[in-house]
Amino acid sequence: MGYANLVIGAIFIPVIGAFCLPLAARASNRLRNLLSFAFIASSFILSLKLIPLVLSGQTILITKQFALGLNFTLLADSLAVFMACVSSLISALIVLYSFGYISHYENQNEYYFMVTLFLGAMIGLIFSANLILLYIFWEITAITSWRLIGFFRDKPYVLKADKAFLVTVFGSLVMLVGFLAIYQQAGSFDLPVIREAFKTQLISNLTVILILAGIFSKSATLPFHTWLPDAGVAPSPVTALLHAAVLVKIGVYVFARIFIVNITPDVLWHTVVPLAAGLSAIVSAGAALLETDLKRIIAYSTISQIGFIFFGLAIGNGVAILGALLYILMHGLAKAGLFLCAGIVEQNAKVKDITKLGGLISTMPVTAVSFLFCSFSIMGVPPFGGFFSKFLVFNGALASERLWVVLIFLIAAFMTIIYLFRVFNLVFLGKANIQAKESSPIMVATVATLAGLSLVAGILIYYPYKFAQIATWQMLGAIK
Amino acid sequence: MTAIALLLTIIIPLFSGVGMFIFPQKMRRVKEALLILSSLAGLCLSVFLFKQDFTFNLPWIGPGLGLSFRMYNFSAFMLLSTGFFGFLIASYSVVFMQGKKFVSQFYGYFLLCLGFSNGVFLADNLLAMLFFWEGFLVLIFGMIAVGNKDAFKTATKAFIIVGITDLCLMAGIALTAHLSGTMVISSINLPLNNTLANLAFILLMVGAISKGGAMPFHSWIPDAAIDAPLPFMSLIPAALEKLLGIYFLTRIALDLFQFTAHSALSTLLMVVGALTIILAVMMALVQKDYKRLLSYHAISQVGYMILGIGTALPVGIVGGIFHMINNALYKSGLFLTAGSVEKQTGTTNLEKLGGLGRKMPVTFGCFLITAFAISGVWPFNGFFSKELVYDAAIERGWIFYLAAVLGSFFTAASFLKLGHAAFLGKLGSENTKTKEAHWSMLFPMAVIAIVCVVFGVFNQLPLNHLIQPVLAGKLAGHNFSGFPASMKLVVITCVVLFLALVNHILGVRAKGSGLHALDHIRYAPGLAKIYDLAEKRFFDPYNWGLGLVGIISRISLGIDRGINWLSDGLTVRLAYGFSSGIRKMHTGNYSVYLAWSLVGMLVIFGFLVIF
Repeated sequence: MGYANLVIGAIFIPVIGAFCLPLAARASNRLRNLLSFAFIASSFILSLKLIPLVLSGQTILITKQFALGLNFTLLADSLAVFMACVSSLISALIVLYSFGYISHYENQNEYYFMVTLFLGAMIGLIFSANLILLYIFWEITAITSWRLIGFFRDKPYVLKADKAFLVTVFGSLVMLVGFLAIYQQAGSFDLPVIREAFKTQLISNLTVILILAGIFSKSATLPFHTWLPDAGVAPSPVTALLHAAVLVKIGVYVFARIFIVNITPDVLWHTVVPLAAGLSAIVSAGAALLETDLKRIIAYSTISQIGFIFFGLAIGNGVAILGALLYILMHGLAKAGLFLCAGIVEQNAKVKDITKLGGLISTMPVTAVSFLFCSFSIMGVPPFGGFFSKFLVFNGALASERLWVVLIFLIAAFMTIIYLFRVFNLVFLGKANIQAKESSPIMVATVATLAGLSLVAGILIYYPYKFAQIATWQMLGAIK
Repeated sequence: MTAIALLLTIIIPLFSGVGMFIFPQKMRRVKEALLILSSLAGLCLSVFLFKQDFTFNLPWIGPGLGLSFRMYNFSAFMLLSTGFFGFLIASYSVVFMQGKKFVSQFYGYFLLCLGFSNGVFLADNLLAMLFFWEGFLVLIFGMIAVGNKDAFKTATKAFIIVGITDLCLMAGIALTAHLSGTMVISSINLPLNNTLANLAFILLMVGAISKGGAMPFHSWIPDAAIDAPLPFMSLIPAALEKLLGIYFLTRIALDLFQFTAHSALSTLLMVVGALTIILAVMMALVQKDYKRLLSYHAISQVGYMILGIGTALPVGIVGGIFHMINNALYKSGLFLTAGSVEKQTGTTNLEKLGGLGRKMPVTFGCFLITAFAISGVWPFNGFFSKELVYDAAIERGWIFYLAAVLGSFFTAASFLKLGHAAFLGKLGSENTKTKEAHWSMLFPMAVIAIVCVVFGVFNQLPLNHLIQPVLAGKLAGHNFSGFPASMKLVVITCVVLFLALVNHILGVRAKGSGLHALDHIRYAPGLAKIYDLAEKRFFDPYNWGLGLVGIISRISLGIDRGINWLSDGLTVRLAYGFSSGIRKMHTGNYSVYLAWSLVGMLVIFGFLVIF
């Protein structure tokens, strides 16, 4: 029972806690901020406490039956715990950063409420083992992200928020139809039951397409990706939270959860999904090279890197999946760092156009070095963490001998190096056009922590590797 | 004990390198001492470990992904060389870098470089090797970026070029590991009988020769010569990168794959080598800067090594490795002479130099020895290794030999020009008070020059103890030490060197100065245009690559905007069009609504009748 409480707590402490935050704000803003951090951090700590259990190979299944198959089913296996730890860790750091960033703006109550609720829903989605429950949490994240993107109330910003909402909800409704099709075949929304049912029958390609539409729209993959760069109008901690660390990983996670753990789709998809992801990776990398808005570039970079994660997962052998899981961690840390650095630059220089910036390394050295470290990690340079994830994904892909797809991703990886350096050079090196100082210590400390974690995750790769390896074994073992 | 010593060769430089960043700025003396002591420790450890043979495993990531190290004759040789250059150039840097900015950062990168390259030489696991190999990237970037004002542009260029080829290497390693089923280097020996194996070989080769600085991955080196701090040039492009690149290329050719002469891959390597020799030396001819001229030679010389190893003949491989160590010696020595000229006169522009031979006799002496060595003059070390490479090249085709000999002619010609322009001729008016460099800068140069002579006169020493053991069972009883076997080739070499001298004398007569002695080649009909374009960087593969990436990006952005138009433009327009169309139907006119109802009824009726 103890472990089951941990899972419930990890989900509902932030979900319920979120509703208390506006009340707490009546006492003091400081209390509200700290509580928000405490709720998210406790979610992280509870997830951490689950690690020993899942590492020993056990899982926790919590079920409460309701009518129409709408059961309340939660499952904590090593994949779920891995994701929960990664998401809540990064979210907690981002909230810490928000203390400094958001303090300049109005509607702070709404901000902390939405962020906390968002993380709770995310954790709920991760542990859900019932498709409808998963869908409900999915839509909560959509609604909260809609409000968060539209945090600044100007008309164009609100329109971009609407776009993000419309595209992702369109996708998720299509996905819901796919879930119903699965229900038709399996007679249940519960994933353990579905897994048993699909051991003897095949899933139709149409159902796969329907579900992929939802996954691709949430994870901003071609052709449903354009909302993500547009959503760069949001405050930087929001973009970090949504684009880098958490929201876009939902699609990836659900892909792993449904199509690797529970249902084996046709072999065809081992080629189609990597190709789609590859196209997405190249197109967005190219766009990132020509874009001039700092946050849009990083957003395109996210789309491109998400392609690598899909690539690893869809290839489907153990090494590639392991690489993809590590990729989720490494990319989350580094990309959150990049967005938060961009936030510091944007807030202090008051400019987002990189061609107008320059020479900031002399006035904001910590931010510049953090940005560089995070970039190295995303490029996949040792000793940073991104090196291992990129290597493992390529290793797995080459083991499957799909050379053309590998070539596409190799080009995307080349371009990653080029566009990240272009940004770094234009913003931090060269002639200083605009004077800007470092932000508040807490913001700078957060980006430095993320950069440091990217480095430490590479040097101490043993621990995340072990964890991801056990998760992979469990995922693949579940199929057989 | 030996295992600990082995780990220390990596750990000491890494920790003291990190220390450079941590210790406060004021502890300059401490940092200098740390730099010298840790590089000296590296040298001592490599001497201690010499001739040892063992493997050693550390758990790191997971099964099959451990940090495994293997100490054997080739690694010992490489470790010794790294230690040697590390110590000498460290003691040189301490004086040279005085008064410069970012000194402690530079020392930090310097030591980390030593640690990482020792890691590459010792690794017996492909992933571990790749880790250390690619780790170099960040260090190179840092070392160049602390140079002069615009150095970061060159640093970026270096990072992008080397980074992209490192990704190729990564793919190659993944493929090799897949094909052989293991990551342990010493147990891989793949036959080159299918497409995938050939592809793996090419990918690994790209990584190796790019690290070595061969064409077409060379173009950052001449830029770095101008922008980066000088000890960087002497340590990295002149010595360590050649050691790393050629070490790995040799491992690929000898151990990882069953690489044989007369294969297409062997020819490919030889073509790359030959083209690198010729094209780079042609560029070296026309340079007007001491350091930039040397940097083109750093590229050209790697062509000889690749040509030698590419022949896949024992004599070629021995020659290639011998040339690698010889080049590391004389090239870093030459860069050090450039450094002392720069330190004492404040410039390396050959137009402003001249007549320094009398003012800086020791530097001039070291220059002479190293320049003779690079030109391949008997009895210096370069002569012997070049003869071995010639021997192998002529066996594989006269065209390769011709390229190599022609390269020698131009090398000799450009060093005659360089020496003449910098050390002979009239003393420039600004340089009348120039003095000889500080003794601690002269000491490393002198040591290197002496070793150049020793490796030539007593070439049995390096060949029998360092190089030929690497090929162990593949020598088939040959011994390549002593005087070259083919007298005919030696005679041709002598003739070529003599012609270079004649060419120089005639050139000086025609133009009246050493610097312009080669103008008749620079402005030769046909060549003049090409040189003009080259000076405008028209032939820089980096620019071509960026152009290609630019095209891809533009297409990508087009696709991206197109999709965006579908969601933001088309959908919105359709919705508006639809609703405005409907709105127009609602005129408020009774008869129109009646007509609509009638049509609707007819449709329903028709549907019922038909089905």
